[in-house]
Amino acid sequence: MSTPLLAAHNLNRQFGGLMAVNDVSLRVHQGEILGLLGPNGAGKTTLFNLISGVTPVSTGRIEWRGVPITGMASHAVAGLGIARTFQNLRLFPTLSCLDNVMVGLHRHARQKRLAALFQTRPFHQKQAKLHQEALALLELFGIADAAHRPANSLSYGDRRRLEMARALANRPELLLLDEPAAGMNPHEKDQLCELIRQIQAQFQLTVLIIEHHVPLMMQLCDRLVVLNFGKTIAEGPPEQIAKDPAVIEAYLGGAG
Amino acid sequence: MDTTLLQQMLLGALLGISVYLPLRCGQLSLATPGFYAIGGTVAALLSTRIPALGGDGVSYPISSVLLEMALAAMVTGILALGIGKVVLRLRGIYLAISTIALVEILRVVSLNLSFTGGAIGIFGIPQPFASPEGYVGFTSLLLAVVCWLCDRLERTRPGLAMAAIREDELAAASQGINTANTKLLAFVLSALVAGVTGVIAAHFLNSWNARMGNFDASITTLAFVVFGGTRTWLGPVIGGLVLTALPELLRPVGDLRLIVYGLVILMGPVLFPQGVITPERLSRWSRMLRQRLRLEAPTP
Ligand SMILES: Nc1ncnc2c1ncn2[C@@H]1O[C@H](COP(=O)(O)OP(=O)(O)OP(=O)(O)O)[C@@H](O)[C@H]1O
Ligand SMILES: [Mg+2]
Repeated sequence: MSTPLLAAHNLNRQFGGLMAVNDVSLRVHQGEILGLLGPNGAGKTTLFNLISGVTPVSTGRIEWRGVPITGMASHAVAGLGIARTFQNLRLFPTLSCLDNVMVGLHRHARQKRLAALFQTRPFHQKQAKLHQEALALLELFGIADAAHRPANSLSYGDRRRLEMARALANRPELLLLDEPAAGMNPHEKDQLCELIRQIQAQFQLTVLIIEHHVPLMMQLCDRLVVLNFGKTIAEGPPEQIAKDPAVIEAYLGGAG
Repeated sequence: MDTTLLQQMLLGALLGISVYLPLRCGQLSLATPGFYAIGGTVAALLSTRIPALGGDGVSYPISSVLLEMALAAMVTGILALGIGKVVLRLRGIYLAISTIALVEILRVVSLNLSFTGGAIGIFGIPQPFASPEGYVGFTSLLLAVVCWLCDRLERTRPGLAMAAIREDELAAASQGINTANTKLLAFVLSALVAGVTGVIAAHFLNSWNARMGNFDASITTLAFVVFGGTRTWLGPVIGGLVLTALPELLRPVGDLRLIVYGLVILMGPVLFPQGVITPERLSRWSRMLRQRLRLEAPTP
């Protein structure tokens, strides 16, 4: 098989005596939507933090297109084309929604210093283009009306959508979504599912998604990986995961 | 208005900007008086020890002042680069404490060096301007340039990155922002502004000593920003102007000055959590002003 876009080899992360991620190996292939399932505290978010460079790995290796990136700072990981959202929402609360997305465009907004200083025509043209791109992303997520309102004035669901818009502004190849549907009602969840499919096609994304809502994951994902107590307990296509005894045990048994 | 007071207000506005720059990215650095003191010392030393800078001897040439400013900027910039790399790893109150320590170290060092004149300091710093008006003109020009640069900064990529770091550093890094470099940039710019301001202050005050940058000054300049706000450069400028003028206008009541500062630091964050001047308030005021003007305009 071809080199995966992202590969994790025997990742470990300890917090004191707790193995939050325990010998997890993972391959994410270009263009797929890979789902990460597991009960609370299984280590899903920690795995995201390891990949995005937010939390250093204890041991193990991470590769991007076959090149080792273990230990890279999170801004450098973002520079590779890996964008993420946060389970507990980390917007820039008092900045406008538009500025939140403009920050997402940071790596693509570089301008010549002198041009920026003297506000030359090319400077303004590029700036206008970036604004348009940011507005288009807000539009895509249905929050363009709030463009000039501060992020902390949005409803919970809209904040989640704004975080996705900001992540897309990074123009990523791999998008990590940490419970993007949390706090949304069933109808909104369906809409979000559609939207994720749409952006995946439109921006040619590879998606790694954490979500507790199992029906949504079954519908959306090409492949699922299930974690429990920091370990991978199952991996495969949704229909196979649905009848996997270890998964059923994890969700219905002691830990669930 | 008294031109001497006006000059002090302008210097206050410049120092306000110096404290504001790191605060724009959420870094509470109190190092401004330290770099201000260094700038002043550079000016005092050069202008009193190097006769060649003195020109024809009638009045001290402005070109020499500009040269001192360039040198002061170089010295404070390089120092800030080195110090910033280390202290900016600290966060919040720890950064504040370490920068206060830095200011104290600089003060004690300058107190004990012989070439800075020790406790007595350096006297007879030559005057490039015959009157306070000259200083006011020159300092206004400098303030205008610094404000313009800040305005450009805020409307471009690094300025937005700074605001993002202030709001959420981890999220900012996840957007590809090199947070360490961005904070360092703000710290160095802050030192440059303080250093250059020190040069003018040294000439204006005619003498310079180790007391020029001390803990009191750290708190005073911090009050400028707490009062004015950390959202736009206009905040610390207004803060510096107003709070420098206030104690002078209240001079009849003497030591009330310190109480006023104490109250501002105490009440400011309670009444105006983001300072008096915020972009939102500015646009509201300008809307009101435009409406008012429209009402008063004669109907055709
Ligand atoms: N920074 C940290 N310090 C200490 N323990 C941590 C830290 N981050 C996570 N943990 C612990 O690691 C374990 C895994 O947490 P993690 O957040 O990765 O779980 P999760 O699968 O995302 O759960 P949830 O579905 O509730 O979001 C938990 O027991 C958690 O308490
Ligand atoms: Mg989680």
